[in-house]
Amino acid sequence: MYFALTDEQRALQATVREFLADRFPLSAVRALYDDEDGDGDPAELWKAIGAQGWLAVLVPEEHDGLGLGLLDAAVLARCWGEGVVPGPFLPTLVAAEAIRLGGTPEQKAEWLPKVAGGEVKLTLATEVRRASRTSFDDGKLTGTIQHVEYAHVADRLVVAADGGRLFLVDPKGPGVTVTPTETLDRTTRLCDVQLASAPGEPLADPALPEVLDRAAVLYANDLAGVARAAVNRTVDYDKTREQFGKPVGTFQVIKHTLADLHVATTMAEHAGWYAAHALDAGLPDARLAVSVAKSKASDVAREATAAMIQFHGGIGYTWEHDAHLFFKRAKREEYQYGDAATHRERIARLVVDGD
Amino acid sequence: MDLSFNEADEQFRAEFREWLAANLPMEWRERGFWRRQGEAGFEMRRQWEADKAKAGFAGIQWPKEYGGRGGTPAQRAIYDEEMVRHRAPLTVNSLGLTFLAPTVMVIGTDEQKRDIIKPLLHNEVIWCQGFSEPNAGSDLASLQCRAELDGDEYVINGQKIWTSNAMHASKMFGLFRTSTEDKKHRGITMLLVDLRNPDGSFAPGVDIRPLKQMSGASDFGEVFFTDVRVPRSNIIGKEGGGWDVAMLLLSFERGASALPQYAAFRREVDDIVELAKTVGRDSDALLRQKIASSVVELECLRYHSLSVLTQVEQGKELGASSSMTKLQWSETHQDIGELFTDVAGLAHQVSGDGLDVTDLQQSFLWSRSETIWGGSSQIQRNIVSELVLGLPR
Repeated sequence: MYFALTDEQRALQATVREFLADRFPLSAVRALYDDEDGDGDPAELWKAIGAQGWLAVLVPEEHDGLGLGLLDAAVLARCWGEGVVPGPFLPTLVAAEAIRLGGTPEQKAEWLPKVAGGEVKLTLATEVRRASRTSFDDGKLTGTIQHVEYAHVADRLVVAADGGRLFLVDPKGPGVTVTPTETLDRTTRLCDVQLASAPGEPLADPALPEVLDRAAVLYANDLAGVARAAVNRTVDYDKTREQFGKPVGTFQVIKHTLADLHVATTMAEHAGWYAAHALDAGLPDARLAVSVAKSKASDVAREATAAMIQFHGGIGYTWEHDAHLFFKRAKREEYQYGDAATHRERIARLVVDGD
Repeated sequence: MDLSFNEADEQFRAEFREWLAANLPMEWRERGFWRRQGEAGFEMRRQWEADKAKAGFAGIQWPKEYGGRGGTPAQRAIYDEEMVRHRAPLTVNSLGLTFLAPTVMVIGTDEQKRDIIKPLLHNEVIWCQGFSEPNAGSDLASLQCRAELDGDEYVINGQKIWTSNAMHASKMFGLFRTSTEDKKHRGITMLLVDLRNPDGSFAPGVDIRPLKQMSGASDFGEVFFTDVRVPRSNIIGKEGGGWDVAMLLLSFERGASALPQYAAFRREVDDIVELAKTVGRDSDALLRQKIASSVVELECLRYHSLSVLTQVEQGKELGASSSMTKLQWSETHQDIGELFTDVAGLAHQVSGDGLDVTDLQQSFLWSRSETIWGGSSQIQRNIVSELVLGLPR
């Protein structure tokens, strides 16, 4: 019985945190946020993280990767959430999982080593409810998929279409129009992807449900990181901010709210690790664990980042304060790969209907 | 991460299951069985638990010299889990087992170790805890029940309240004010008090009255002392050192994982799901969300318990973080109570008539006490915010 990170995982966590504090602190996030004409893709950070080998975490060793588990990737996601790190890191990991799980041997050999080396950016183009609306006919895809992360800088899209089958699409190829949109949360960029008889290269296996579960776990861990940073930063501020002649952190209404948020965040952290491990180990309750983790983290991150604004008072509502970076990321990720209510309904199907 | 138990632990589980299969009658596991037994149930449970102890399935983590099993924290967790899974009766001596015995093992005299631990483990003596008073609840250190030295004896006058198990206990470990000179934490001493004579009648100067709870049951009592004499050798720890003893004593609760609560509450949710199907509301979208919310919080409680168990096995001091465990299970259980009433609607008021919801009713009402006893949720939030988050007082 050992429910905790290993020494190696802790070391990875410490290294990533240290690296981000040094190479990409909140001031760097903000610079990207404020760059109105930029593509939202931090090129230097991408290179540096590629060089660290962190994108190789889920790539099998035979494809030049580290061959580690989803729990190790979750450690990275947690750190990226804590630092509200921009860039196509999670999209690339998720799309690479689709290739690893569903790709032909040739597709894996072509793309996975490049993912491991930080040479290519990938993204998954799926709106779960609309996946079936994009059709596949005679090798060509037709349809529109909205809100695709970083499609404008991706080397390949993994498109879910035709009732859940997966296809590799070159976003710069014929019949593909990628239009970046103005997103509230500028630690990502969401794009509209239009496919008009665009060539699609099918993956071998229908891996979408598995990919969506793994994506939900990674985003749940990112959200847990967002929530933890929001709680810690708010606690630090309320220890020193004085009103009525004393720190506002002495007032019980603030203390008790932060205590509840600390408990809830801790639960989301446990759930994030557990779900990742459950998928790695093939535990019988893995599907339940995925939905527990994503629904809990979605709710907690929203509440913690809202409290971050509230418990900073007026300054918390300004553009210059960092609270909105956390609040907007939490809100965006809340709806990625299933919001809390969607995952609760899935839990109800497991627990009530016995599916 | 490795959530499997090792071979020795699984071997223990198999042995305990075998014992339960042979020694726990099937009808005892039925819903409502203990309610139907009434008062007679206490003696049945007392005896069954004593037999279980003699078979080696008690004091799982206690050293063998005290009659325990010398097992691991994992085995303790397995034991708790199997007890709930098999719907085995709850212990009748929980305060003694959880608090008094471990305290005596650490700071008791040799005589106290000999006289207290084994009889407790074998249910020959049932203990209650005398801490709370009418004017000392969350503010425990303001307790007023006096114990004045008179020769080699203390003379106790005053009152204790919310005393769990007072109606069955023959002895009390309690906190008494032995000095009003010192600062309020310093003038407190822990004493062991005989509440009953060997024939079961109240000891001289002792009066015990049951408190009827909002559920109708009487799990708590009031204990009154009028010139009750206690030998000076009945001190646990040092005179005036009762506050430190109480802190040590309460720390033994902290290592406990909430796996038993998880197992029990998860079963309640299963019962509520069955109820939803019975009343034809299992496809109600809002109720499904509420059911799932309770499952989310319960699963989180389980993961948290596994994390706590790992820390205990590594010998880490849990400290104030155990307040998080209490908050998570007690608040979640209240939500499950609300889930029951939401699913049943007005029918939650009436048991019988083809819909037996008595257990869920009782659990729903009892859950209102769980955020009060053992440190109210407000006190737990103070502890988390001050000792875990470091917010100023």
